[in-house]
Amino acid sequence: MAMTATAAPGERVARRRNAAFAWTLPALVLILLFFVTPVLGLMLRSVTEPTLGLQNYAELIGTGTYARIFANTFLVAGVVTALSVVIGYPVAWALAVLPRPWGQLVFAIIILSMWTNLLARTYAWMVLLQRTGVINKTLIGLGVIDKPLALVNNLVGVTIGMTYIMLPFVILPLVGVIRAIDPAILRAGALCGANSWQCFTRILLPLSLPGVAAGALMVFVMALGYYVTPALLGGTANMMLAEMVAQFVQSLVNWGMGGAAAFVLLVVTLALYAAQLRFFGTRRIG
Amino acid sequence: MKTLLIATALAAILGAAGSAAAADMVFTSWGGTTQDAQKAAWADSFAAASGIKVVQDGPTDYGKIKAMVEAGNVTWDVVDVEGDYAVQAGKAGLLEKLDFSTIDKSKLDPRFVTDYSVGSFYYSFVIGCNKDAAGTCPKSWKDLFDTAKFPGKRAFYKWSAPGVIEAALLADGVPADKLYPLDLDRAFKKLDTIKADIVWWDGGAASQQLLASGEAPFGSFWNGRLTALAATGVTVETSWDQNITAADALVVPKGTKNKEAAMKFIANATAAKPQAEFAAVTGYAPINLGSPDLMDAAIRKTLPDMQAASQVNADMSYWAEHRDAIGKRWYAWQAK
Repeated sequence: MAMTATAAPGERVARRRNAAFAWTLPALVLILLFFVTPVLGLMLRSVTEPTLGLQNYAELIGTGTYARIFANTFLVAGVVTALSVVIGYPVAWALAVLPRPWGQLVFAIIILSMWTNLLARTYAWMVLLQRTGVINKTLIGLGVIDKPLALVNNLVGVTIGMTYIMLPFVILPLVGVIRAIDPAILRAGALCGANSWQCFTRILLPLSLPGVAAGALMVFVMALGYYVTPALLGGTANMMLAEMVAQFVQSLVNWGMGGAAAFVLLVVTLALYAAQLRFFGTRRIG
Repeated sequence: MKTLLIATALAAILGAAGSAAAADMVFTSWGGTTQDAQKAAWADSFAAASGIKVVQDGPTDYGKIKAMVEAGNVTWDVVDVEGDYAVQAGKAGLLEKLDFSTIDKSKLDPRFVTDYSVGSFYYSFVIGCNKDAAGTCPKSWKDLFDTAKFPGKRAFYKWSAPGVIEAALLADGVPADKLYPLDLDRAFKKLDTIKADIVWWDGGAASQQLLASGEAPFGSFWNGRLTALAATGVTVETSWDQNITAADALVVPKGTKNKEAAMKFIANATAAKPQAEFAAVTGYAPINLGSPDLMDAAIRKTLPDMQAASQVNADMSYWAEHRDAIGKRWYAWQAK
C-alpha cells in the first residue's frame, strides 16, 4: 500500500474499512430482514406451538424414529463427504497439472454439470439405477448378475446421487489450493530423495489440507440439509432431516416440530462452521 | 395428492410470472394432467363467461395456505385440496365459509359438501397392474399383500392419507363396513409383512413411471392415472375390487381479496357441464349429480362412480379428526 503524507497508514486502513462496511450495509439489512427474521420466527414457533415450552425438542430427542433420522442424516452426509474427497482429490490434482486445453475441457465439463438442473440430474440417476434401468439391464445382459441389484430407493442410491452432485464443491476449492502450491517444493522434495508417495503424503497433502477441509465442510454442511436427491433416490427407511422438516411443515402442518428440527440442524451446521474456523483459521482458500 | 419438486420449481417460476400480469384470481391445484384438465374444463370456460382471468398456480401446499392466512396475505383464491384436509382446515379457521347462494349445492353429491368445501372430483384407489411386466395380476387387496403368490415390488401412495391403511385392513380380512375406527395396530402389522417390497410414489406422474417401467409391476393407484397410462399404450389391468374412494375438495383460504370471484369460480367448476368435461378427460368421477347425463356412455363406464357395488368409501370426517395422530405414526413407521 502506498503511503501519503496526509494520513498515517493505520488511519487510512481504518477509514477504508469503514467505507467498505458502509457499502455492505444494504446487503446486511436485506439478510437481516429476509433471512434472519424468518429463521427467528420459526425458532420462536418451535417453543410456542402448540404451547409455550420445550415439548417439541423433548419429543424430537425422546422419539426413537427422529433420533434414527438424525443419525441417518449424519451417516449419509459423512459417507458422501468421504467419497467426494476420495474421488475429488485426484480430479482436482489432475485439473491443476493438466496442460491448458485439457484442463480447461475437464473444468468446463465439471462446471456444466453444475449448471444442469438438479432435478434433471437426479431423475437421470433414477433412470440409470432402477431395477429395470440401464445399469441393471447391462449387467444382467453381460451375465454378471442374475437378479437386478437394488441401487435406488435405498442408501446406495442416495449416496451415488449425492456424491455425484457434491463432487464439484470439493474439486473447485481444491484446484485453487493445489495450483497455489509452488511446484519447486515438490521438485526439491524429489531431489532430496523422496519417492512420489512421500512427495504426496509429506508435501502435497499437508499443503492442500486447507482446501480439503474447506471442500469437505461445504459438502458435509450441504449434505446435512439436502432434500431433493434423498427424497427421490432414497427410500422412506433412510429418510433425512430435511425431508422430515418438509413433512412437518407441508403435510402435517405442525410448524412447532418443523421449527425445532430445522433449528437443531442450524445449530449443528453453525457449530461445524465454527470448528472449521477454529482449526483451519480464516486462511484464504482458492 | 402431492407432486414432486419439479412442479414446485416450475410453478414458482410460472406463478411469479403470472402474478406480475393483471391477475383477477388464482386457482391452485396439484399440477400435471389433472390441473391441465381443470384449467381446460373449469377455468377457461369461467374466464370466457365472466371476464375474470384465472391464473394457475401450484402445487397445493398446506404449509403455504397456513402461512398465507396467518400473514394476512392470501394469494390463492381457490385451492384444490384433499377431502380430509378440507374438513380439518375448516375447523382450524383457515378457510372462508362458502357462499351457497352463489354455489348451487342442491345438485352436488352431498357426501362431499361441508360449510367450507365442496367436492372437486372424486377418485378411487384401485389395484393397477402392468400385464407385460407382471405375468399374473393381483385382483384383490389380499393378493396385493401376498408376496408369496405375487413376488416383486408393489407401489403405494407415500403420504399419510386415506387409502393405504384401509387397503391393509381389507387385505387382512376386516369387513368393509367395520373399517372405522381404523385399527392402526393391525394395519401397520399387516403393512410390516410387505414393507420391504413397497416402492412409494409421491405423485401421479411418479406412479405412472413406476408402473410403466415395471419397476413396480403392480400396486395401488389413483384410477385416473391408470386410464391415462392405458391411453399411452401400456397394457394396464385395473381391478376395481373394493376400490377405495376419496375426494378432492375446493376451498377458499380465509382472507382472500377475491372472495366473490372465488365463489363464482367454484360455482362454475362444480356445475354439471364443466364437471362432465373434466371427468371425460381425467377418468375421475364428477361430483355434480347432473353430469352423468351429459356424458358419453362408454366413458361413463370407466369412472369410479360406476363401481359402487364393490366400493369402499374412506371416512373423511374420521380422517379429519385423526389426521395428525395417524400422520405422525405413519411417517414414524415409514422411517423405521
